[in-house]
Amino acid sequence: MLSQFGIMFLFILTAFAFIGGILLFGKLLRPDRPTEEKLTTYESGEEPVGNAGVQFNPRFYVVALVFVLFDVELVLLFPWATVFGQPTLIAETGGLWGWFALTEAVVFVVILALGLAYAWAKGYLDWEKPQPQLPTVATKVPTTLYEQVNERYKRPTTP
Amino acid sequence: MLTLFLILFPIVAATAVLFSTDTIAKTAALIGAIGELVIVGVVFFTFVANDQYQFGFDYAWFGAATNGSSGVRLSGAIDGISLLPVVLTGLVTPLIILSTFKQTYTRPTSFYALILFMQAALMGVFVARDGFLFYFFFEAALIPIYFLAAMWGGENRIAVTFKFFVYTIFGSLLMLVALVYLYRQTPLVSGAHSAAIADFYALNLSAKAQGWVFWAFFIAFAVKMPLFPFHTWQPDTYVESPTPATMLLAGIMLKMGVYGLIRLILPIVPEGVNIWGSTAMILAVIGIVYGAIIAVRQRDMKRLIAYSSFSHVGLMAAGVFSRSEMGLQGALIQMLAHGVNVVGLFFIAELILQRTGTRQLDQLGGITRNTPRLTVYFMIILLGSVALPLTNGFVGEFLLLSGVYGYNHYIGLAAGLTIIFGAVYMLRMYQKSMFGQPAPRTATFVDLAGSDSYVLLILCVFVFWMGLYPASFLKLTEPAVLNLMQFIK
Amino acid sequence: MTFQTYDCLQMLPIILLSLSGIALLFLGFQKSRALLLPATLLFLVIAFVANFLDWGKTYMYFRDMLLVNNLAMIFTGVVLLSTFMVVSLSGSLADDEDAQPAEYYAILLFSLVGAIMMIGFENLIMLFVGVEILSVAMYILTGSDKRNLRSNEAALKYFLMGAFATGILLFGIALLYGATGSFVLSGIGNYAHSATNAGGSMLLFYVGMFMLLIGMLFKVSAAPFHFWTPDVYDGAPSLFTAYMSTVVKTAGFAALLRILSVSFSGVYDFWWVAMAVVTVLTLLIGNITAVYQASFKRMMAYSSISHAGYLLIGLVGLSQASKPAIAFYSLAYSLSTIAAFGVLMLVARNRPLNAAVFGDQTTLARTDEHYDAFNGLARKNPLLGFVMAVSMLSLAGIPLTAGFWGKFMVFSAAADRGAVWLLVVAVLMSAVGIYYYFRVVIAMYFREGQTDTIRVAPFYRIVLIAATVLTLALGLLPNLFQGLI
Repeated sequence: MLSQFGIMFLFILTAFAFIGGILLFGKLLRPDRPTEEKLTTYESGEEPVGNAGVQFNPRFYVVALVFVLFDVELVLLFPWATVFGQPTLIAETGGLWGWFALTEAVVFVVILALGLAYAWAKGYLDWEKPQPQLPTVATKVPTTLYEQVNERYKRPTTP
Repeated sequence: MLTLFLILFPIVAATAVLFSTDTIAKTAALIGAIGELVIVGVVFFTFVANDQYQFGFDYAWFGAATNGSSGVRLSGAIDGISLLPVVLTGLVTPLIILSTFKQTYTRPTSFYALILFMQAALMGVFVARDGFLFYFFFEAALIPIYFLAAMWGGENRIAVTFKFFVYTIFGSLLMLVALVYLYRQTPLVSGAHSAAIADFYALNLSAKAQGWVFWAFFIAFAVKMPLFPFHTWQPDTYVESPTPATMLLAGIMLKMGVYGLIRLILPIVPEGVNIWGSTAMILAVIGIVYGAIIAVRQRDMKRLIAYSSFSHVGLMAAGVFSRSEMGLQGALIQMLAHGVNVVGLFFIAELILQRTGTRQLDQLGGITRNTPRLTVYFMIILLGSVALPLTNGFVGEFLLLSGVYGYNHYIGLAAGLTIIFGAVYMLRMYQKSMFGQPAPRTATFVDLAGSDSYVLLILCVFVFWMGLYPASFLKLTEPAVLNLMQFIK
Repeated sequence: MTFQTYDCLQMLPIILLSLSGIALLFLGFQKSRALLLPATLLFLVIAFVANFLDWGKTYMYFRDMLLVNNLAMIFTGVVLLSTFMVVSLSGSLADDEDAQPAEYYAILLFSLVGAIMMIGFENLIMLFVGVEILSVAMYILTGSDKRNLRSNEAALKYFLMGAFATGILLFGIALLYGATGSFVLSGIGNYAHSATNAGGSMLLFYVGMFMLLIGMLFKVSAAPFHFWTPDVYDGAPSLFTAYMSTVVKTAGFAALLRILSVSFSGVYDFWWVAMAVVTVLTLLIGNITAVYQASFKRMMAYSSISHAGYLLIGLVGLSQASKPAIAFYSLAYSLSTIAAFGVLMLVARNRPLNAAVFGDQTTLARTDEHYDAFNGLARKNPLLGFVMAVSMLSLAGIPLTAGFWGKFMVFSAAADRGAVWLLVVAVLMSAVGIYYYFRVVIAMYFREGQTDTIRVAPFYRIVLIAATVLTLALGLLPNLFQGLI
């Protein structure tokens, strides 16, 4: 007799076998004619530059965080919606249930909205372009001289 | 209620001194200490010689039962056993303050306030009837003396006093464990344990448990007294401390240990004493001989007195562990006598230091020539210390030695060496400092006057009073000692 | 299904604190920062009062999610009081250009919500949520000194280790659920009772229990799960170190106490040896390592480990007596720790930046937090010296102070269980503790040093004095507190 965990184990095994089988099946069936175009990362034509470990502007993370937050909000609101409309509950409480559930959801959304408003007011959502600042050096050499030197020894630009 | 005043009065006085000005601090402290002495005097002269606790107070403090009884209590009272240490504390503190009248200490308000705080804590130790109250004051006494020694002490004071502090705290923490254990062993009365020392007496512990409790208590008290081999903090601390602090340490604080032996160890763990008492006794006797031998070799007066004190306290401990009435009586009277003597001796060492700038015996000599008063007072106190008949030391040491002798002849014999050695080192100190040709430093020695003289005079009065009529003290302690003997057997 | 009309008074602290946290965030938009501190204090006072409104009653909220009874109210009171004191020592934040006081205060209040959940949880989910709310807030506050490399390092370290511990905690909860089929403490407790009697394998239960305990022990920095503590406490701004070492610890121990006494008391014989070993290790490591620290703040970090050890003694001797014991100990410990950090912050701020010692740019802003900084402090600043001395005495457990009764109570709880050997270890370690606590006292009173009179803001002074007076009052009259329980 299998225990509950035994069933889980069989389930996992089956899952692996199924995935492996499907992949193998596809490999056998499909035509295989690779070209350089097909093997690029983005088939849209965007050229990948450098390696994947580049630094992102931290603002991306702020936006991502806010996004995740509201994503999670939706995750809660869907099940809430199903409970909100349950006729039996409404009938049992004489309609009070609807108000109660609505208030709860409103409180929840308002708190999140307050958070968004806070982030907005603080300016975390503004996308500021970084202004490159040239270092100023106290020297008697005129800057044009440096530019000439730079111009002379400029590396040939890659096409 | 009088007992409560004994504790509270010095605290009030100390607070007043703390907030007074530098100029009047000294006088204010003396007035406070004399006020306390008056209370002690009332206690002493109205004390009824029986085995009852008198002048007591009793309040719920912590963990009390539903009906307000038992638990840890703020309770204190005086019986025959605590009477003499209380008298000692009340008597010696004003003398210590008076002895500083010709000197100036920096920040005098703190200095004298700490002395008075110390007095309050010592009083608390001697009158506490509750195990934790005892512990409370036992520790609390340490803090003022630590600050006294570390703030006004000599060159090496920080390291030395710190060693002293950690050493003694370590000992008393062991006692805390034992007390917690005992507290939890007492039967529940309306939902609460009792921490009263009297209830600890009634406990019926197994022999093994008694052994552990014995050592926990013994180490705490042995460090405090100190007994061999827990004495290594003592000489340095005595030497480095300012003399008033040394007097407090040797004169009174040391007696906390002896008092603890009598009050706690003997009656609470009689079986433990039965098993380990002889070990403790041997340690005490080793201390007697060892301290005396080292004292003979000392050149520094203060260090010599420190070692003599170490030797004497060993005899007190041995007398307590003889578990005889004579030994206990002797220990009690000797606590008082030794307190008087050692305070006098340290004071004389300090006087000599002030006048000559040194305490080294080989740089002194010939002081007797122009100092009739000092010569006489010094001699009297010294004879008290070497236990000459008709002085206070004799009564105590005689009783102690007979107690120890009754316990075991050989140990009694070894302990008896204390008298011989005592005579040797004390007389040597006297001879080297007072007699002989005047050294360059002692040629212009000025005799005592004023407050210094009064201090020694009062001490001398006590040397003779106790030596000539010891019964005035012994008859007060006897009923309590006899009562205690019941728990020991 | 019917509605229950909750008598929601007891939930007030949680709700109030959440709302006031949000309010504080928006208060931060004001130009002047002067209003923030009084507002936060006001909110805390309101929460404190609300906490005790229903004194003497016991409530269970949200279908066995949160329990509120007297003990929980006391722990909540301790936590709120500690926060009040920490916040009132934060006056200098308003002058700091880089600081964001509004956010700090808001985060503090939010974290308190987590702490209160940890104190009153009846359901393991609530424990987890509480732990997370508290921890995440702490990760942020640890790194709040953004320009300081050590603060950043501390935050990262704390976050990584803390996340790991949370994982273990969660896994433990999952296993317990697997074994018992319940998240509710009493349900787990019933299972433990019945299963031990029935015999049979309880492997899953035990593994879950130990993982849960390990997760919690990490949060209260008990050895051998203490490695994050010194760096984090040292790196975090002193203000938040004070908060961390008091509130987080109190809440953590309240949670441990709850779960051990309700769920695991039936299998006491199984876990007490492990807990005793942890206790001894914690005491040894905390105390002995503290001796070797040159920095006062780092010493306080190790001292907080050692106090976790003393509190654990109260847990090992689990009984009715350990509840008031741990509450009292937490209070005594919090009072003196906050006072000590209060003095440290003043002293450190008053010292010249020791750029010469560290040299490089990132540590330039590091103020001097070594023992030497206290040299001669008591001469010119008797009040600060006294406050610090009393705190140290209390932490060392010397009579006359609250710390003594704290030790006394946890010790007697353990003595009840017959673990006298544990007391001997604890007592030996207390003696070691005296060594390092007194180094400060020695520095302040007996050593020479050039300190000028330090200016103390009036309110700051009042809080320091209040902490000291309370420590002494509880030392003299422990009944003041004991009567409450």
